[in-house]
Amino acid sequence: MDVSQYLEIFLDETNEHLQNLNTQILSLEQEPDNMDTINEIFRAAHSLKGMAGTMGYKRMQALTHDMENVFSEVRNGNITVKANMIDIIFQCLDALEEYNTNIRESADEGTNDNEHLIKQLNDILNGGNGENGEAEKATEAAEAAKENVVETAEDNSNKKWLDIKLGDSERNVLNEAKRQGKNIYGITVKVHESCILKAARAFLVFKAVEETSEIIVSSPSAQDIEDEKFDLDFSLIIISDSPIDTIIQAAKNVSEIEDVLGDVYVVEQVKAAKEVKTTEVKEETVKTEVATAQATSPAASATAGAQATTAAGKSDKKPVAGKPGVNRTVRVDIEKLDTLMNLVSELIIAKNSLVSASATENNTNSEVFEQIEYLESVTTSLHESVMKVRMVPIESVVTKFPRMIRDLSKKLNKKMELYMSGEETELDRTVVDEIGDPLMHLLRNSADHGLESAAVRKERGKPEVGSIFLDAYQDGNNVVIEVRDDGNGIDTQAVKKKAIDRGVITPEQAENMNEKEIIDLLFSAGFSTAKEVSDVSGRGVGLDVVKSKIEALSGEVEVKSKLGEGSTWIIRLPLTLAIIQALMVDIGEEKYAISLGSIQTIEDISVSDVKLVQNKEVINLRGTVIPLIRLNEILDIPSKKDSQDNLIVVIVKKGDKLAGLVVDELIGQQEIVIKSMGKYINKCKIISGATILGDGEVALILDANALI
Amino acid sequence: MEELRVASETTQFIVIKLGDEQYGIDIKYIDNIVRMQHITRVPKVASYLKGVINLRGEVIPVMSIRIKMGLKVDEITKSSRIIILKMEQQGTIGVIVDEVKEVVTLEAAQIEKVAYDSKDEKDNFISGIGKYEGGLISLLDLNLVVPENV
Repeated sequence: MDVSQYLEIFLDETNEHLQNLNTQILSLEQEPDNMDTINEIFRAAHSLKGMAGTMGYKRMQALTHDMENVFSEVRNGNITVKANMIDIIFQCLDALEEYNTNIRESADEGTNDNEHLIKQLNDILNGGNGENGEAEKATEAAEAAKENVVETAEDNSNKKWLDIKLGDSERNVLNEAKRQGKNIYGITVKVHESCILKAARAFLVFKAVEETSEIIVSSPSAQDIEDEKFDLDFSLIIISDSPIDTIIQAAKNVSEIEDVLGDVYVVEQVKAAKEVKTTEVKEETVKTEVATAQATSPAASATAGAQATTAAGKSDKKPVAGKPGVNRTVRVDIEKLDTLMNLVSELIIAKNSLVSASATENNTNSEVFEQIEYLESVTTSLHESVMKVRMVPIESVVTKFPRMIRDLSKKLNKKMELYMSGEETELDRTVVDEIGDPLMHLLRNSADHGLESAAVRKERGKPEVGSIFLDAYQDGNNVVIEVRDDGNGIDTQAVKKKAIDRGVITPEQAENMNEKEIIDLLFSAGFSTAKEVSDVSGRGVGLDVVKSKIEALSGEVEVKSKLGEGSTWIIRLPLTLAIIQALMVDIGEEKYAISLGSIQTIEDISVSDVKLVQNKEVINLRGTVIPLIRLNEILDIPSKKDSQDNLIVVIVKKGDKLAGLVVDELIGQQEIVIKSMGKYINKCKIISGATILGDGEVALILDANALI
Repeated sequence: MEELRVASETTQFIVIKLGDEQYGIDIKYIDNIVRMQHITRVPKVASYLKGVINLRGEVIPVMSIRIKMGLKVDEITKSSRIIILKMEQQGTIGVIVDEVKEVVTLEAAQIEKVAYDSKDEKDNFISGIGKYEGGLISLLDLNLVVPENV
């Protein structure tokens, strides 16, 4: 079977399982007796094994197999969870991650057998329990017993193989087999609800069953199963020499199979059942025909409808006949989404041109305006939907952090706990992919340099266990991620000294620096000794790389710190990178755009209300003193306004800081597409990009954050 | 063989005019030649960077070779053009020229190397002199004209 087409899905799923395992094992460490967690771990390990096996990655399979064995014993209560066992399991997860990385890069798992890990796992197994086989048997027996209970309770409702209608030739084959003394079984396989490749799983079940037996009939037909035309289960009638339990076990070994039921199939039994239910069967046949007829039609909904009818017809036998509403997802290449986003951008530019063209032509036709307004609302919602498609929760990045903090805690010999909130906050996929490293770096920094050792903490009257917080939330057009710790905070004197030692600043400069400027030194390039953010030396270096990475994402980072009480690192990221709502303004003869997200209010201020504080212009706006920034001076444009005129002031906000930007004229609100100006012009900090206006001209976008 | 060797040693140049002098730009860098259009000024950048233009939906920076080479400030006339260059390191960038004249093919023998001891600032941007139909063409070294880091 060619598996390459499933490689992408395999990698994604493996990642999910590994992350899940990491989280679960962490919680297992906290509560070693929690059966739910153990079961969850067992299931994940089992799925991993199955998937690796399917894809032919033998080493990965071997490792997961042994892990699964260990957890099977834990589940049976034969092994208790110990600290060293958790450590080994974590090492196994790292090894699996390595396999996964290798596969992603070269489609090959690599040659590392990880024998020592397998040996350690086996040691746990042997040390914990000598009667391995018996225990397994016991499990099987227990499982079988459980199944029996289920069967009796549900009274054959799941034995769907009883519904299979036999043709004459098939009945002959079965009777012949019976005469030869072979066993005839009926089995029903239920696929897990979340299974994506139902057909592939079914194929594997078929393959597993065919190793020991011969499949006589399947329902739905083999062709339909291959085309994924089945709900969540399928039934087989088979002839075999082996006992039914082996077959069921073989089928269950395929991953994502929820349940396999099987029993001896008696040909007569069906006949009897048939007689009883003659009328019903007839009715069913008719409905099945309808279903088949509609299944060939392309309309999927029609098929679903037909299935629903069929299900309703059978409802006396099946209490719940499958869920038609299984969450349907499509995995899409990010490049395709990028193309889509670019096209939407083009569309918005074209729409803007249309708007400006219709405005200049003295158009009195209200029909045109109506249509343009309609077009405007359609493009806006189109843009929003495309943007939403690209958004993913930051969860995928932050779930690895608790594990990291745990490892750091052991390595640094400090007690610490990570509290996270807002994992569901969504960001553009490209941003989420990039934000992991800087966050990891800040967390390491907090753990290593922020938090004091337990002894010092005790002395200072703090709880022995240090706390690190990771909070994410949306704030207007931005997403804010805060990394906070209750450690020592930043010692500005030490920073100053270090900066002088490293030659970043001169002692004279140091004299005149305020606290904030000193803290900002941490981000300067000369301050760090490492070049890469991925550097895991744990020396708390490379903050400049964190800063530049976040700035590359059009975000910014700031620090608040109080000596002895802890520090907070605040990362502010734009929700989207491509299209924003902006206020267009005139300054002199030039047009500029200001992101609506950062605008608080727009005020009309009389010149006499402008006061001077420390030789800087400020205004007093409803009790708040706000500094004024005259954009025409900053941008070197001669203002076309009289100095006695009232000022138009755009109040912008950055965090809790406000500033008033003085502009000449307001043009209006507009949806603009952010275009990069290329790497050639990147020196200008106050310009964050450019956009193309409706008339084809380029306008620059002011970065209000850089102005404050 | 003989033909191949000859072919590999010829280079095509676009001849432009800056003031009274003729300059040649290697055709392999040229993406497009567009008419003069409105250039949006970008504040706080080097004086030779004139701003940005909209080239079919892309925002492209435009620079003045004249200012860069220490010549007189550009006088925009009807024949002024913006030559769009595609450079490996620097990306896409436009340069303003007074006039675009023709495309010439020069063989290696027609190109004379220049010594780098010239005091004249504008000569520091020249990679060689091409002799063509009696006239002389200063061949621009674009990596010097368009520096990697502004």
